[in-house]
Amino acid sequence: MQVDIRTKLLIVAIFSALALVYQNPLILGIILLLNLLTVILFRVPLQIFREFKGFIYMYAVLMVIQSFFVRDGEPLLQLGNIYLLTTDGVLYGISIMLRFFILACSGIILLNCNTSELILALVKLRIPYEIVFMIQVGIRFIPVFMGELQNIFHGIQLRGVDLRRVYKRKVLKVYVSIFSPVIYSVLQKAEKLSILLELRGFRKSPARTYYRDISLSRIDYVVMTLSLIVTVALIYAVRNL
Amino acid sequence: MTFISLQEVSYTYNGRKEAAVKNVSLSIAEREKISLTGLNGSGKSTLAKLILGLLKPQTGKIVLDGLPLGKYSLAKIGEKVGYVVQNPSQMLFNTSVFNEIAFGLKWKGKGKDEIFHFCKKYLEFFELWHLRDELPFNLSEGQKQLVVICAVLALQPRFLILDEPTKSIDTFRKKRLIDILQEIWHLGTGVMVISHDMEFLTAFDGRRIHMEKGEVVEDAGRYQN
Repeated sequence: MQVDIRTKLLIVAIFSALALVYQNPLILGIILLLNLLTVILFRVPLQIFREFKGFIYMYAVLMVIQSFFVRDGEPLLQLGNIYLLTTDGVLYGISIMLRFFILACSGIILLNCNTSELILALVKLRIPYEIVFMIQVGIRFIPVFMGELQNIFHGIQLRGVDLRRVYKRKVLKVYVSIFSPVIYSVLQKAEKLSILLELRGFRKSPARTYYRDISLSRIDYVVMTLSLIVTVALIYAVRNL
Repeated sequence: MTFISLQEVSYTYNGRKEAAVKNVSLSIAEREKISLTGLNGSGKSTLAKLILGLLKPQTGKIVLDGLPLGKYSLAKIGEKVGYVVQNPSQMLFNTSVFNEIAFGLKWKGKGKDEIFHFCKKYLEFFELWHLRDELPFNLSEGQKQLVVICAVLALQPRFLILDEPTKSIDTFRKKRLIDILQEIWHLGTGVMVISHDMEFLTAFDGRRIHMEKGEVVEDAGRYQN
């Protein structure tokens, strides 16, 4: 389904807000399901979910850690009088994991959007251009910094350092070596970019034109209205549970 | 004795239709001097990255020192094959020039005196000793390139791959680089230079391998040691 990027932004905002408002795993599960359906509807390449494999382990660990900090509910694991794991703790852990998935999946909706259109949409939403430009620069440089990080990883290993076998006390030292050049490069790039922007007369004139244009069509209004109706219905249904 | 062997190796980058490296078969001896040439985008750097295990071939097999490349960790490959990348900033990650060269040596467990000796030897050779306390990121491109070369040379790998090593360095240091490459080659290290600098390659005098559109179109044969 081809919709305007502002429609997608509204849907992302709805899913993210719902994920933060609700804590019940069942409701969060329904929201996640709706979210996944939207992802399919917007024809986002599903191969992206392969990238999730790495996060699943992290989410699972986070879920276990979170569950240990909740003391309410029936004990599932106890040491004397101390409750180590409770039913509420497990449910809370699951909620946290589902929240993460919803936030990640709602972001995926924007994945097949053109960056220029995203920027234009933000401008049309009356977000100050300086802020929009910062977002644009951020998006533009993410792959560059990821590439730099990977190069440093390779560079360190090719000097004979096996990162998997680094002693614990030396891990910090290695990670300082990895991140310091990237941070330095970020600062250097920011400085160069600011000079280049000045040289090209950034914001010299308040009027700025755009080569591309985006407009809301009938399908956008339909999708936006439907999204809001479903959201209100969900909120109403949860209230009456 | 064959040190690096490539058998029908091909590699295509994600999202590209044309293979960057097409069915390349090469046999490189331990103490060999190689000049790898070709136009921009002909697959030279990709070939180097494949040899170093930074890229995995989609077809074909690479054998390093008798074992398939997949059997080695990147660190183990780094111990055998030194690599100087085209963009030196990618390989600088320390807070001083001295530490940059000492980095690999420290991890190899070398003593303080030995580390100092190697750092001084290579930095003095390229007349960079006065820059030893400078932040590597603040150096000129040519100086960065030389610092990376020093750092890799100090590790004394069995084989050295230099990708465009003369790109930003001055004539004086180019001459020095040739001298040291000849010296380490005489001492038993294999060297592969990827370059467009024909003057440098003529002075280097290695087995000439020429690539076009990902294929090896000319191989002057194994160099006689």
